[in-house]
Order: sequence, then structure tokens, then C-alpha cells
Amino acid sequence: MSLLSRFMTFSRQHATLPLLMVPVIIAGIAINAFGSSLLLNVYTYFCVSLIMVLGLQMFMGNSGILNWTHIGFVGVGAYAAGILSTAPAVKHMGVPNMFPALVSLHMPVIPAILVGGLVAALLAAIIGYPLMRLSDFVGVITLFATLIVFHVIMTQWDNVTNGPRTFFGVQEFTTLWVALAGGLIAMVVAYWFRESGLGLRLRASRDDRYAAMSVGIDVVRVRYYSFVTSALMAGLAGGVWAHFITSFSPKAFYISEMFLLLSMIVIGGSGSISGAVAGTTVVTIARELLRQVEGTINNAHVLSFEVFGLTEAVMAVLMILVLIWRPGGVVGGQELRWPLFKRKEPGATKEAEDAA
Amino acid sequence: MPMLTVENLMASYGVVRALHGISLEVNEGELVALLGVNGAGKSTTLKSITGVLRPVKGTITFLGKEITNRTPEFIVKQGISLVPEGRDIFGQLTVEENLRLGAFVSYERDRYKADLKEIFELFPILEERFTQAGGLLSGGEQQMLAIARAMMAHPKLLMLDEPSLGLSPTMTDQIFVLIKRLREMGSTILLVEQNAERALEIVERAYLLGNGEVEFAGTAEDLKHKVDIASVYFGGDDAQKAGVTL
Repeated sequence: MSLLSRFMTFSRQHATLPLLMVPVIIAGIAINAFGSSLLLNVYTYFCVSLIMVLGLQMFMGNSGILNWTHIGFVGVGAYAAGILSTAPAVKHMGVPNMFPALVSLHMPVIPAILVGGLVAALLAAIIGYPLMRLSDFVGVITLFATLIVFHVIMTQWDNVTNGPRTFFGVQEFTTLWVALAGGLIAMVVAYWFRESGLGLRLRASRDDRYAAMSVGIDVVRVRYYSFVTSALMAGLAGGVWAHFITSFSPKAFYISEMFLLLSMIVIGGSGSISGAVAGTTVVTIARELLRQVEGTINNAHVLSFEVFGLTEAVMAVLMILVLIWRPGGVVGGQELRWPLFKRKEPGATKEAEDAA
Repeated sequence: MPMLTVENLMASYGVVRALHGISLEVNEGELVALLGVNGAGKSTTLKSITGVLRPVKGTITFLGKEITNRTPEFIVKQGISLVPEGRDIFGQLTVEENLRLGAFVSYERDRYKADLKEIFELFPILEERFTQAGGLLSGGEQQMLAIARAMMAHPKLLMLDEPSLGLSPTMTDQIFVLIKRLREMGSTILLVEQNAERALEIVERAYLLGNGEVEFAGTAEDLKHKVDIASVYFGGDDAQKAGVTL
């Protein structure tokens, strides 16, 4: 095989990534040059959301198990990274009851974020195995209950999280470029994971659990490894987010935030990276617009009551509509492919049409 | 020593006993059929061998090693591949991914490529449909994909569960020709079929199951002549009175 044809095959197979990354990068450069500070924030938040959603896609999208606990791991990563990177003096002031051992811990931001990811992954490794034996709604309910446990611990553990009160004083580190780099890395990792042996086995177990067992796949183990990997990504996203938002409370890692992540992945299509990226884009834009509408209505005082929760309500309706008309999400289960690289075999045309 | 020995196998679904002590053997290089009506226990026997169903009693020995109560993953790695009933292919995955999953038992990139070439010679349609989702294939093509996927694992024993189920007569012919060819290439095959007549044309030996027991065991010739298959399939003497023959 000549070098050129090898390159052609490779780019045909993996055209998805540049197809997704280039528009995101162009948008980033444009917003950095011309955007208002609001737009800059929205875009940075979008990139951080991408890391969270792609982490969710790695497990949920490939295994078909609705993972409510995901946002809990984001929280674990956020608190761990926040505690590690914040100066002892600041922590002493912000979280008066913190364990002395935690107060004295201090390290630069990047290692702190990495450790935060590892803490989340370790936690997933400890609690994950029994959870992965459960399928379908039993599994979903158990993961939901696990999120509640996470939330209760975060709101009650004064000595670590400052309880229900705000944990503040985290350094601002996540600029637009840091977030963009994180988002791009997340895309590559999630894409690579989906195509890897582990991802393929996981997708097979989603498709048909018993057929997967009959070709020699240990479904529980495959799910377990993926769950831990996904939690690692969630933890890293939490660390990046914490250094963007700088102050947060356990509220940020609970049902309404998780619902937003779910709407992103469901609207776009959980089966593919393309779907996750598209969903995150659509929901981020829609959310910002709805927030503006909500603000405008409230400021105009045309109604006798305050409008709130518009975002969640519209997202829920949007999700229902997508599930009715395109159950696989807007993009569906297939990755986007570059039309130029369409294969010539008769079999491939239909797939390309499906993806388009 | 036989390749696969099943001794006094009993299995049940909850309180319902499906197998009441089945014994059978498959020798290396043989093509053996497991025949019987619906509910006779054919699929249950296969499920027990592959470890998907845990038998209540009995032993299963493969290549001198006991595999009773082991996990399906372990049993696949020993060299037993099952093509499940109803062609359990992965409908959302592409043909390529389906085949790759079959090869994962002992994956080597170079061997995988060589195996693909072989598979394409046997099943040219799969090359044509390589990048398409498995679910978009026709029933017969899916059956071919299921067999090809099982072969990618280089099984020492290939078990086919009702490969002709739901296929058109032409497709059924093709599948039987293919099974015969696999046999000639040296594979050991345990074939489960309802279509006894067709199966007996290509196999050497057969076991006839009924109500969870082996009712007859012997060569295909014996089974054809000594056993009134119609009576087994259509309920004993009544069938003969009604003049049903196969």
C-alpha cells in the first residue's frame, strides 16, 4: 500500500475529528477576537461542558446505561482540585472547619486538576464494580441513588467541602484557551475510546448483552473499566470547571446540572462523539438565549409573577420532541463523515446518507 | 478421546426442568447434529455448554478440561464459539466491527487481516457490506455474518443454533452448502436443527432430543431408517394414522 493511499484511508476513516474540531477552534478564535466578555464566558463554559458531556458519552453513550452519578464525579474532581490548588491561608478563611491536613496541602493548578481526576476515578473504582452488574432501570435507579449519596456527603461534610455553603477562593486559571485545549483533548480521547477495543466491546454489550457474552466479552468488567475512565474524565472536567467558576457549592453537582448534561447528550445523540458535540453546542446556545428571554420578560414587568425555570422547561420539551422524532438524537449513532471521502462500495452510500 | 463430552446434563429455567440428563459426544473433525422439536432442549443444551446457563447437574468436558459452571468468556477462550439462534449479530455495529469482535478472543492485527481475506472468499457479500450497520443486512446476510464472526475466533468447536431459521429456501440451501464446506475444511461442528431432513443430508452422526432427554443417538443413516421422524415431530402414532410422512 502506498503512503498516499494509506493516508487517504486513514483520513477517510478518521475525518470525524477534524470535522468537529475545526469549527470549534474557528469559533474560539473569532470569539476571542470579536466577542463580548459575556460571549467569552459562554464559550469557555461551552468548552468545559464539552469535557463533561464527552466523559458522559464515553460510558453512557457506549454502554446505554444512564449514568446519573456522572455529575457527582465532576463534583469530586472540582472539590479535590479546588482544595489542592488553593493557598492554605485562603482555605483557612473560607472553610474554617477544614481538616488541618487538607488545609496544609497545596500544589500548582495543573497537578491539582490531574489529582482531582484521579480521586474521582479512584472513587469510581471503589464503588463501581457492584453497580456495573446491574442493567436497565435497576442500574439507572441505583446510579441515581448514588448521586443522592454523593450530594448528601458534599452538603454535610463541613470539614472538606464547607457543607452547603459556598466554597470560594479558588484561583482563576481556566481561560478560553485552557478550556478549548481541554475540550479538544476530550474529543480526541472520547473518539479514540469509542473506536478502541474496550469501546467496541462496550458498544457490543449495549447492542446485545447476551450476544456479547457469547463472543467472549466480560460485560461487567468492560463496563467497570469504562465507568472508571468516564469518572476520570468527569473529575478532570470538574477541576477545570472549578478554576473557571472559582466559587461553588454542592448545588452545582446535582439533579438540575445533570439534567442539563443529559439534555445535551440526548438531543445531540449519545451514540456518537459528533452527537455529543452537536448537542452541547445546541443546548449551550439555547440556554443562553432562554436566559436572555427570561431576563427581558422579568425586567419588563409585563407579568405579575417572576419567570424562572424557563431553561429547564424548554430543554425538557426539546428532549421529548427529539426522543419522539429522532430517538437516536439529532446526529444519531453514526459519526459525521466528510462527504468527499465517501467510499465507493455500494454498501457505504447508505451509511453516509444516514450520517448526513 | 472425544473433543466435547457432555455427561448426564440437567438444566432448568427456574422450577421448570428443561434437561433431564443428557449425554453426548463430539469428536474432532466431526459434523454432529442435535435434532428435535421445539422445547426438546436443543438450545438449552447449547446454552449450558457455552456457560450462559448454569446446569443443575452433570459435567461438560472440552479437550480434557472440565468447563462446567465456567463463565462464557472462559469457555469462548477455550475454543468454543456459538452462532446463536436468531443470528444475534450486533445490529448497530458495522459488519467490520462485528467481525473484529469475533477476532478479539485472540487478536493479532496481521492475522485479523489474513482472516478477513479468507472470510471474504467464503462470504463475498460481507466485503460489499463491510462498512454498513449489521442491522441493515438481510436475514441470510446476517446469518452469514454471524457464522463469519464465530469463525474469526478460530474456534476448535463451532456450534450453530438453527442456522436455517426464518430463511428463504434458497438461502437455507446456501447455508447448508456452506456448513458442508466448513466441515470439509476441517472444522468440528455441532449443528442444532429443527429441519431434520436437511440436517441428516450433511451430518455424520445425530442425537435426537425429546422432552429433555436423548431419544436416539447414532449415525445419520441409522436415524433415517430406524426412527420414524414423523412420529417424533408430529406426536407418535396419531401422526402415522393421519398419514404424515417426511
